[in-house]
Amino acid sequence: MSFDLYLIVESVPLMLSGIGITLKLLVISAFLGLLLAILLLLMRISGKWYLDWPAQVYIYVFRGTPILVQIFIVYYGFPQFEFIRDSIFWPILREPAGCAIVALSLNTGAYVSEILRGGVLGVGKGLLEAGSALGMSARQKFIYITTPIAVRLALPAYSNDVISLLKSTALASTITIADMTGIARTIVAETYAPYEIFISMAIIYMAFTWVLQKSFGLIEGYLGRYAKREA
Amino acid sequence: MSASDADPLIQMQNVDKFFGDFQALKNINLEVHRGERIVVCGPSGSGKSTMIRCINRLEEHSAGRIIIDGNELTDKVKDIDAVRREVGMVFQSFNLFPHMTIAKNLMIAQQLVRKTPKGQAREIAMHYLERVKIPEQADKYPIQLSGGQQQRVAIARALCMQPEIMLFDEPTSALDPEMISEVLDVMIDLANDGMTMIVVTHEMGFARSVADRVIFMDAGEIVEEAKPEEFFDNPVHERTKLFLSQILAH
Amino acid sequence: MEALTGWWDDYAWGSLVVAKVFLTSIGLMVLFGLIGAGAKLSNIRIAQKLAGAYTVIFRGTPEILVILLLYFGSAIALTSITQMFDPEVKFVDVPPFWAGTFAIAIIVGSYATETFRGAFLGVSPGSIEAARALGMSPLQTFIYIRIPEMWRIALPPFGNHMLSLIKDTALISIIGLNETLFVAKQAIATTNKPFTMYIFVGLIYLAFSSAITLSVMGLEKFGKRTTEGAR
Ligand SMILES: Nc1ncnc2c1ncn2[C@@H]1O[C@H](COP(=O)(O)OP(=O)(O)O)[C@@H](O)[C@H]1O
Ligand SMILES: [Mg+2]
Repeated sequence: MSFDLYLIVESVPLMLSGIGITLKLLVISAFLGLLLAILLLLMRISGKWYLDWPAQVYIYVFRGTPILVQIFIVYYGFPQFEFIRDSIFWPILREPAGCAIVALSLNTGAYVSEILRGGVLGVGKGLLEAGSALGMSARQKFIYITTPIAVRLALPAYSNDVISLLKSTALASTITIADMTGIARTIVAETYAPYEIFISMAIIYMAFTWVLQKSFGLIEGYLGRYAKREA
Repeated sequence: MSASDADPLIQMQNVDKFFGDFQALKNINLEVHRGERIVVCGPSGSGKSTMIRCINRLEEHSAGRIIIDGNELTDKVKDIDAVRREVGMVFQSFNLFPHMTIAKNLMIAQQLVRKTPKGQAREIAMHYLERVKIPEQADKYPIQLSGGQQQRVAIARALCMQPEIMLFDEPTSALDPEMISEVLDVMIDLANDGMTMIVVTHEMGFARSVADRVIFMDAGEIVEEAKPEEFFDNPVHERTKLFLSQILAH
Repeated sequence: MEALTGWWDDYAWGSLVVAKVFLTSIGLMVLFGLIGAGAKLSNIRIAQKLAGAYTVIFRGTPEILVILLLYFGSAIALTSITQMFDPEVKFVDVPPFWAGTFAIAIIVGSYATETFRGAFLGVSPGSIEAARALGMSPLQTFIYIRIPEMWRIALPPFGNHMLSLIKDTALISIIGLNETLFVAKQAIATTNKPFTMYIFVGLIYLAFSSAITLSVMGLEKFGKRTTEGAR
């Protein structure tokens, strides 16, 4: 058992050629998932049971089942139905990448909506009372007090979720997508050198995670500037 | 539709307040005229906060009537808005918006509620910051100020809305002793200007020198109501005497 | 639904495998988490560094890579070790059960490290001091004050770790563990009903997650009662 350095030098550029797909999966799913999360959040805090309940059920189901099962349902399961194959969504659902994005967005949306709700619930009651006492409407309080503070409170947990999402994009390789992990698996199947390939792959993901963490750290620093005592 | 000057600015008639089964206010009757300064005291949990929070409907009373300057507090949003525009409130815990600068804290409600243009809102903000003697802090964030300064900002923020009535809920209880007087000075200044004020406080010196009437509450009821001299020197009720002996003991 | 006829027993066995992996991995996860937390809280620099690396690595590496690496990697390692004694051996198979169980326990254990550490540090020094001042022995303080407080702090995130474990069992199907997702694949090959089969897997996992959530809620209630009774 030896460590083949030459193989690593040869394969890393190959694996990196999949970073575009990994990035695409990450960015689009994060964006769509965030939109879904905001919608679910608004449903949950609407105070109307017929909006709150469906959102709760949705979140419960998507957080209670493995993401891999969700990906398989979208990719393998949906085409079982004629009406889906005839629908306007077919051009998206026919593509593995489209399926991965749909599943990842639906999944992350459920988690992020709970994170956002945590932020909203963390906004001090006294601040909202002060807003009321000053005559601000419910809508004004939500926009000018709740939202900015909730965003700051939710950001650390949100950045963790984006990192989880990055890791989940690797599951796209199970439905034939040639993202970084997909390429790595192909190389391992050909060379049978799991140590060299998977460890260098892991290091690339860690670097990616590090970049994400640093970027979120900068945003947190900016949004949290008012929470620090020194000017 | 402002009522005539002879009518009370605040009228509470037979007001009850329940939290579930628990009765926090029992048959409260209170009239406050324009320019009057009322101090409310009483043991913790006696309903002082609940009473003044009913006046700007941070709490909804369960029974009875509350009429502010001719507007009765009902479920109608319009009436509530009208009342809140006239009633300023200062909280024990300041409740400054942490994500806004001091100036923005003073401007935001002016801009949103009164639709005051930005420039003018800033002028008004600076005017009141000068009144509470901290104009130089305008562009800092609340956390960078001391407690006493924050509470003065909170007072200025309420004043920016040009209220007819100011409610204070234990404005100095969260402050370190050396900061209490700077806040009380601002409040005395305000009283001298003729502001109608209801102040929940245990600062008996303030009550003696500023209040027109002192109200003592216990277990959700107004137990005693008197001019400060009578209240402090000749309290009528046993419960008042007990409370005063406890509070003046230290 | 009639597509499921004939597959019930396979799903039942698959669920049993899920349960077995889950129960085994909990034990390992707690072990890894406690070791990690102990190392971080120790004042041995090298232990702190190692534990730090442990959490960073598994926070940043996709689960699927860890599983693949442990499975193929340990097979290669075992093969070469065995060949030292018996050069005739061509290949040593590692059971997916153990490779997968270890992998998910190591991954989730890295998160549990932070949970346990936080729980230990979260106990207010005041109550410890108060207990000592009242004349309680260090052991009594540990049993009656520290453990219940830690329990209360760690339980909610610990519940999340258990949910992660149960959902991660699905990933082990990738290396051929015959759990429910694997069963579904076989069922689809003969019935050609992917949607039905994968939805059913989803329902099985939802049942597992619900059972875990309910147990944690029960434990939290129990914990609240005991800590409140202690006042
Ligand atoms: N939102 C609430 N829900 C239930 N009970 C409340 C609520 N607010 C206040 N109370 C109760 O009402 C009583 C009066 O409270 P409060 O007006 O805050 O007293 P004070 O300000 O005199 O200390 C207390 O017993 C308190 O526990
Ligand atoms: Mg109070």
